[in-house]
Amino acid sequence: MEHIKLQGEIRSDYAGFNSLVNFAARLASCEFEHIRVDMSGVRWMDANMCAPFGGILYKLSRQLNTVSLTGLAPGMETILSKNGFLSNYGREKTQDTYGTTIDYKRFEPKDGRYFGSYVETHLQGKGLPHMSAALLKKFRESIFEIFSNSVIHSDTKFGIFSCGQFFPAKHRLDFSIVDLGVGIRENLRQKAGLQFSAIEAINWATEGRNTTKTGPIPGGLGLKLLRDFIGINKGRIQIVSDKGYWEFANGAVATSELAVPFTGTAVNIEINTADEHTYCLASELSPENVF
Amino acid sequence: MEEELFMKLMEIVGSKLCVASDDGERVHGQIAAALKEGKKVKVSFESVESLTSAFLNSAIGQLYGEFPEEKIKSGLSVCDIETDDLDLLKRVVDTAKEYFKDPARVKGARKEILGDPDGR
Repeated sequence: MEHIKLQGEIRSDYAGFNSLVNFAARLASCEFEHIRVDMSGVRWMDANMCAPFGGILYKLSRQLNTVSLTGLAPGMETILSKNGFLSNYGREKTQDTYGTTIDYKRFEPKDGRYFGSYVETHLQGKGLPHMSAALLKKFRESIFEIFSNSVIHSDTKFGIFSCGQFFPAKHRLDFSIVDLGVGIRENLRQKAGLQFSAIEAINWATEGRNTTKTGPIPGGLGLKLLRDFIGINKGRIQIVSDKGYWEFANGAVATSELAVPFTGTAVNIEINTADEHTYCLASELSPENVF
Repeated sequence: MEEELFMKLMEIVGSKLCVASDDGERVHGQIAAALKEGKKVKVSFESVESLTSAFLNSAIGQLYGEFPEEKIKSGLSVCDIETDDLDLLKRVVDTAKEYFKDPARVKGARKEILGDPDGR
């Protein structure tokens, strides 16, 4: 029996991700154990952080451990039941009265269609904000770009995890997509022979037309498009991969190194739901001169 | 006058979501087969609700590894496309042209897709 305590506040920020990667590192070598995760010291968890947390717990179960969660405070239990997270750990899913949650789900890389209908279904709930049609389209497409990036680059054997939460008072909607694949740094090393630190690797992947793609299908736009959109929207992107924590907000990038590496890549996007931009560029383009 | 083939993305994909690379591959197969036969192709984006670079890279970007740019310019056209989708398509096309500036990539793509053992 392995007993481990998770504590503090698990928010979508450096400290929140650092807590989770430390937690994962402490249990990384466990096999054939019953792992009891004592949640009594967790004062708050942003619901979208269920995606990285769920990914870590799922990997433990694939290492033939039995995982149980104990000591959840009633408020925490409510948050994690409404989005279906605790349904994986023996609790009933409870009604989301205000309709502000986007369910926690795990997908296989081949589940692109299923992921598509999940996004379509969950981005039009009663409690979700009224967003302009242009913003909703951009947001949906950004989510699909992140998912596609995981499918194409991560080589994940454990699937792709996602979850979201709307914070009405802040006009913010957070959505996280997490894979437990090779991570950006290792992908660059394997595919392009580039030796970067984890933070340099994330910078490289989010800039210019850089791509590790080889073979007949070009690539290298997904994360740049996301960055362009979030810049205009005045939202926020966080990317965690290996030991790198990378955040883009207010037009600026901030980076930090995590205490231990995260095996895989987590992307969280936070959009400003009050944004009324049209996102139709005043372009000279016409269908006649696109090729 | 040469007949132009009309392809509706939504019908080929079977969804308004043109987002997955696999679905783009299906579209690519049809466009490439037609261009190979010397046909002109018009692709309609009517009713497409979501579009990604991953889809467009598969569907259209990879054509630049198989066919000369002039052949694509004269043989392929698009219609019923929203301004922002057209902008995304342009970015994908520009990136693909850049990507295939490397002759080794062109050779590899022709070998893999067209089955040309010499990659010519």
